[in-house]
Amino acid sequence: MSRTILDVTDLRKDYSQRRGLISMLTGQERVIPAVDGVSFYLRENETVGLVGESGCGKTTIGRTVLRLTDPSSGRIVFDGRDITRLSRAELRPLRREMQMIFQDLDAGLNPKMRVQAILREALTVYERPSDAEIARRIRELLEQVNLKDSKLANFPAELSGGEKRRVGIARVLAVRPRLIVADEPTSALDVSIQAQVVNLLRDLQKHLGLAYLFISHDLPVVELVSQKVAVMYLGRIVEMGLAESIAHQPRHPYTRILWSSLADKRSTEVREPRAWGVFDFEQPVSGCRFAPRCPLYQDKGRPAVCTDPASEPPLRDAGKGHVVACHFG
Amino acid sequence: MDAPLLAVENLRTYFYSRAKRAFIRSVDGVSLHVAPGETLGIVGESGSGKSVTALSAAGLVSAAPGVIGGRIELRSHRARRNLLDGLERYVRVKERDGRIMAVEKDDRGWRRRAEALMEGVRGKEIAMIFQNPRSALNPYSTIGTQLVETIRLHTSVKGGREAKERAIHWLERVRIDSPRLRFDNFPFGMSGGMCQRAMIAMALSAEPSLLIADEPTTGLDVTIQSRIVDLLAQLKTETGITTLLISHDISVIQRLSDRIAVMYGGTVVETGRAAEVLAPQAQVRHPYTAALLASVPSAEAIRRKSYLQAIEGEVLDTIEVPRGCRFYARCNRVTEAVRQNCAGLEPPLGEVAPGHKVRCWLYPAARNA
Repeated sequence: MSRTILDVTDLRKDYSQRRGLISMLTGQERVIPAVDGVSFYLRENETVGLVGESGCGKTTIGRTVLRLTDPSSGRIVFDGRDITRLSRAELRPLRREMQMIFQDLDAGLNPKMRVQAILREALTVYERPSDAEIARRIRELLEQVNLKDSKLANFPAELSGGEKRRVGIARVLAVRPRLIVADEPTSALDVSIQAQVVNLLRDLQKHLGLAYLFISHDLPVVELVSQKVAVMYLGRIVEMGLAESIAHQPRHPYTRILWSSLADKRSTEVREPRAWGVFDFEQPVSGCRFAPRCPLYQDKGRPAVCTDPASEPPLRDAGKGHVVACHFG
Repeated sequence: MDAPLLAVENLRTYFYSRAKRAFIRSVDGVSLHVAPGETLGIVGESGSGKSVTALSAAGLVSAAPGVIGGRIELRSHRARRNLLDGLERYVRVKERDGRIMAVEKDDRGWRRRAEALMEGVRGKEIAMIFQNPRSALNPYSTIGTQLVETIRLHTSVKGGREAKERAIHWLERVRIDSPRLRFDNFPFGMSGGMCQRAMIAMALSAEPSLLIADEPTTGLDVTIQSRIVDLLAQLKTETGITTLLISHDISVIQRLSDRIAVMYGGTVVETGRAAEVLAPQAQVRHPYTAALLASVPSAEAIRRKSYLQAIEGEVLDTIEVPRGCRFYARCNRVTEAVRQNCAGLEPPLGEVAPGHKVRCWLYPAARNA
């Protein structure tokens, strides 16, 4: 069994929102829990997929586990070391081992630097290799991400989307990370290029033993690349388990809705839409946070347990490492 | 077949890229037609020219040099005209070895004439819905006010109270809950899906002959996407509106289209009935369409955790258009028998079956066309 590289326990991240003059004067703040008690772990050579609708806290988790934003509470253990409260200086040597691929293709690519200089900079952040060594490493990186030598002289603006993504990945690989948080790595790319990048990320994992936290709303891709998948709703994990069981034997009604809406889009029959509210962070939830939108809650005749303020359903074990937060799942 | 409501012929729309110091042939000789009551789905990757084709048809291309030439024939009850009629005299294009060297365009003359041709067409005869509904709605005015404005401007309903009733009627038709309450909502108080519904209501409330839907589901959450697709399917059966649907999402195109045009590098490479073009076991198919369909992970591929079938290489940037087939550099189905043709000569759209055309040298239809 490979070792655990990231262990997150009861992670919380609140964002506060001031509501204008009155609350500024009275000092009252509204607190929005973007991540509300999330626990999971990630092993070397493993991919955990994180899915959910926009605003559910996926990206916040990614940023918080890398300490790009500070958690409000909880514990983040990276490779056996508690990094929750480390200072910036203490974090610095660890940063090279945990990297992020951003959704934005241009993130991290200085528009005024050629690809060569971008990679050179990445290689010299933590080390002082000789020029010959740098040249060797740049060649190696280009090979790893399958990019032509001729692109070294280009500026980012002269690259296509797929090439920018490859340079971005090469830049991350330059520091030899062990954990990569990939935040929507393919969503800005074309379908045919997406497939190239997905294949590339899987190849790199195989050869370098990388661990990925793979954040995406593209369900088929998540199912393909991940061993485990966590489904998030309103800041919480509502179901987590092996990728194939999440996709094919989901137990939480929300997971079922996510995957079936994918199938709905393809089917040609016309159905009357179900009543389907919109989630709202600002409304206080009592009981299960999914109940207001839950078809099961309606079908079961609105059982009181679902909206009982004292009992938000906890994640319970459903066997084979599958956990689900539903009274009826 | 019915006479088309919209017939685009040899449309060319170019842009100048300052970063690359070159002209980009976004749309480079596109011909398509949409029959009354039909939905034509245009599918392709970014840069294939699908959105620019739609924007050109609606006269909404503003960047220079923009639309260069072609015909956009609209034949509805209220307007029958070529929207690019007599515009070619304002433009001159200099080309060398597949590269555009210069475009001389009398922009003022063009604009004056084009706007005259667009009079009573844009918004009225051709309505559009866009990818980002929030940016297309006016943030400073309520959904209701915006709908009423559209209705009074574009339909025979002029009275205030009557227009309000029409507006509420349209909000109901797009399945917005409590339409009377939503009437007074501002766009910022509404979710993305709700804004898209309001946008659709606004487009349809002008009672247009043609609806252009440019990536109507992109950027929305999966659960909301399937709702919007449901809605568009229902409205299609209810109103029978002629639609030009643009999307990179093959599942959306598949669900809503009667016919499909596949675009690559500024041209249409395949067109035909949706069922035929997307048939899982189709024998005759453009290699690009085949590759595009294969790059979407199938249930089988996911279960076996196999590699995705990527299309190698990069999307054509249409600055330097190759002499041969635009897809040649990435094509994996070139045979020795046709290689010379593929490399040297752009194939025409050949009819491989009634109404099914493929731009590929592999099929005798192209050689005979």
